[in-house]
Amino acid sequence: MSARNRFSNFLYRPGARFALLAVPGVLFVVLFLLIPIIAILVFSFWRTESYELHADWNINNYAEVLGDGSYMVFLLRSFWTALIVSVVCLVYSWPVAYFIAKLGGKYRLLLIIALAAPFFTGIILRLAALQAIMGPLGLINMLMMDLGMAPIQLIMYTKFATGIGLFYLYAPFMVVAIYLSLLNFDFRLLAVAKVNGAKPWRAFLEITWPLNWAGTAIGFVLVFIPCLASSVTPHFLGGANGALFGLVLGEQFAETGTWAKGSAMGVILFLASFIVILIMWRTVNLRRSGFTGAGM
Amino acid sequence: MADVAIGIEGATKRFGSVTAVDRVNLEIEQGEFFALLGPSGSGKTTLLRIIAGLEVPDEGRVLINGEDVTHLPPYARRVGMVFQDFLLFPHKTVGENITFPLKMQGENKAHQAERLDWIIKLLRIDGLEKRYPSQLSGGQQQRVALARGLISRPVLLLLDEPLANLDRELRKEMEIEVRRYQIELGIPFVYVTHNQEEALTMSDRVAVMREGQFDQIAPKLDIYTKPATPFVASFVGHSNRIDARIGSIGGGLARIDWNGLPLIVPCPADAGDGDNILYFVKCEHIQIQPDGSSAAGSNDNQLAGTLRDVIFKGQTADYIVVLENETEITVSDASGVPQVKAGDRVILSWPAEAGNCFSAQRD
Repeated sequence: MSARNRFSNFLYRPGARFALLAVPGVLFVVLFLLIPIIAILVFSFWRTESYELHADWNINNYAEVLGDGSYMVFLLRSFWTALIVSVVCLVYSWPVAYFIAKLGGKYRLLLIIALAAPFFTGIILRLAALQAIMGPLGLINMLMMDLGMAPIQLIMYTKFATGIGLFYLYAPFMVVAIYLSLLNFDFRLLAVAKVNGAKPWRAFLEITWPLNWAGTAIGFVLVFIPCLASSVTPHFLGGANGALFGLVLGEQFAETGTWAKGSAMGVILFLASFIVILIMWRTVNLRRSGFTGAGM
Repeated sequence: MADVAIGIEGATKRFGSVTAVDRVNLEIEQGEFFALLGPSGSGKTTLLRIIAGLEVPDEGRVLINGEDVTHLPPYARRVGMVFQDFLLFPHKTVGENITFPLKMQGENKAHQAERLDWIIKLLRIDGLEKRYPSQLSGGQQQRVALARGLISRPVLLLLDEPLANLDRELRKEMEIEVRRYQIELGIPFVYVTHNQEEALTMSDRVAVMREGQFDQIAPKLDIYTKPATPFVASFVGHSNRIDARIGSIGGGLARIDWNGLPLIVPCPADAGDGDNILYFVKCEHIQIQPDGSSAAGSNDNQLAGTLRDVIFKGQTADYIVVLENETEITVSDASGVPQVKAGDRVILSWPAEAGNCFSAQRD
């Protein structure tokens, strides 16, 4: 029997093809998700001294992060920032996505690509562009001075600037998530609701919103989680009083060299994100979402 | 008429360059089962959507029980509607789907439950209230859609090809049931369909629609036996179309020459000698006998031909006969009497009064 025959025989064995197809996905998850998480988890119970990790097990890192009020301030600030930005993104994204899905017609794809255009460049460049607009000598202030008004001092290097930056970076995710959900939404159901006595706003609340809540929740998580962990945006735009948890976390690795404490912060951030996803998941009732692929 | 439920006056609706509904006038009476019959693209669904308020006509008026509702939004019209693809709300249970119109009207829960109880008994879908639409069969979904359309006691019910997605057996059963609900509730049903059998089975009157206009509005029997236009004659029932020229006229009948074969047919009122006519004779009005049989003797029209094929359909059979002038005629027979097989010589016959004859339009 030739090698080729043996290989094709192997392919026809039950489970063999399944195993082959599963390998890339499993490798990806193990290499890039499981191993780093386990590493971070292990490091968080170790000790750093003079920029080196020592494997003597302790819970001092957690005691320090959870006991020191300033870390909790950063975490709470990150939480509120993420929540406000996500809600603003949601309110902004619904009409945009609805417009594109319902009235975009043959320009739908073009409009979505235009929306995603900023993704064609890196995050630093985009934040620098925001600085050029909102900075002390940026576009807004130059325009105001040209018009004879006093320049605004307040925008740049504030928590508000961080919020604008995060909104700018992540709103497209929300729009795309809601848009994809609306693509699968049967708009004829709205006509049915109206014939059956529903005013337009009532039809939206009764039909459109619940049937697109799963997509909206995914968009919410896609915005909330990176905002909760954001470090680059507050670094560029947040100023001295705008530090967020993610930024301080990054400093543990880059500047102070306290890897073990950074790892503990990472675990806390991971758990916080996980809780948020869990809460959002609880709001999605697959039956009530109109999703028919649940096998129930 | 005092009992007009729906009045449509000169309604016109254009989509771009297409005129879907073209200056249509219509009156539908209280308690009437009215069918809008036409091929796809004839404008029947658009007309239904105009009555529902889902489309606003470019011109003309819509009246429901004497009130001008032309510019009233659908939710203010108290009209029930059943859609072709059922269009149940997938995220609501059967009970919630059915009581949706009552909820929109702000009825209290107790009243909703009472009405739900009434309608699920009427439509025989009790026990399904807690299920979701995806857990129902097609027939059950159709009943739920009907229940949703009827629960709020609408002033009329609009049905847009509601049985098109059901299999044949179920469709037959539902045709009779829908008719039963209509009689029980006593409100007008307006039923859009491209299926002539459905229209003829259920309705009192039928409007045959083509290119945004009505060819004929008449009681269903008249639509079948006295079609007003060649289009109605060819669209309703199964007919043989014969293009011929009038030879002579006498006693309301015309002698025509059909590619060399002589026939006697009812003469159209506006036709004269030598005019071209269109003649339609229904497949079931033609008798077929083996050659040499004497039973055909009393009929005016007798044609000899060769049986090409027999298509057995169960209750009836279609006989396709090639005549001496090389044209084909289809005969439907339910008796099973003709003992003929393909290749046999046969005699076709039918009385002169059978069929419908129209002047061919002059260029």
